[in-house]
Amino acid sequence: MLIITRADLAKVIDHCIAGLPNEACGILAGRDGRVEKVYCMRNVRPGPASYEMDPEEQFRVLKDVRQVGLTLTGIFHSHTSSPAYPSGIDVQQAYWPGTLFPNYPEAVYVIVSLRDRSRPEARGFRISNGTVTEVDLITA
Amino acid sequence: MGVTVRIPTPLQKLTDGKSVVACSAANINELVDALEKDYPGMKERLTESGKVRRFINIYVNDEDIRFLNKEATLLKEGDNISIVPAIAGGF
Repeated sequence: MLIITRADLAKVIDHCIAGLPNEACGILAGRDGRVEKVYCMRNVRPGPASYEMDPEEQFRVLKDVRQVGLTLTGIFHSHTSSPAYPSGIDVQQAYWPGTLFPNYPEAVYVIVSLRDRSRPEARGFRISNGTVTEVDLITA
Repeated sequence: MGVTVRIPTPLQKLTDGKSVVACSAANINELVDALEKDYPGMKERLTESGKVRRFINIYVNDEDIRFLNKEATLLKEGDNISIVPAIAGGF
């Protein structure tokens, strides 16, 4: 389960829409499964079907997350024309290369589908042990 | 040079769960070898054909080694090394 305020979810969706026609991405920091801070990040491999966080920005943000006493709670990105479900590439990239060891086992992967631009859809997943499991994304 | 290395979660299986380890190395190549000696399997996880794997980022203090001298980046006493998997994907 991942709890996010309506305002924070709106921030996530706005960032994804602003990134069109390319995918957009970011980090959700929080504690106890509750998002407390949204970091909108730069996509350094921009395309309608690809994203990669700016490594330097990612390093800086993860450090900031630790320094403010939060943890990495979620990783979000958009799908510009496909459903809000992890793609094969999303799953592959969630693991250390060549293994089934998840890179960020503590994170819920939030995917925002903009397939229907007038009705963005956000869903959350855990990607570990070779499986994808949907988790409830609760707006409060 | 005595340095400390922050180990990401997916590699902590090789370090008996330790998230920070101490090492002695003069550059990144030596660091990889030193980690391999103490924690077998580390070299294969970190490198491919002698180069740091794509989608794995290594920082010396706050600097990405790709903007320093890559695998030949020199280390000095007390440096903090971080190994950070990239966050990427898409469809």
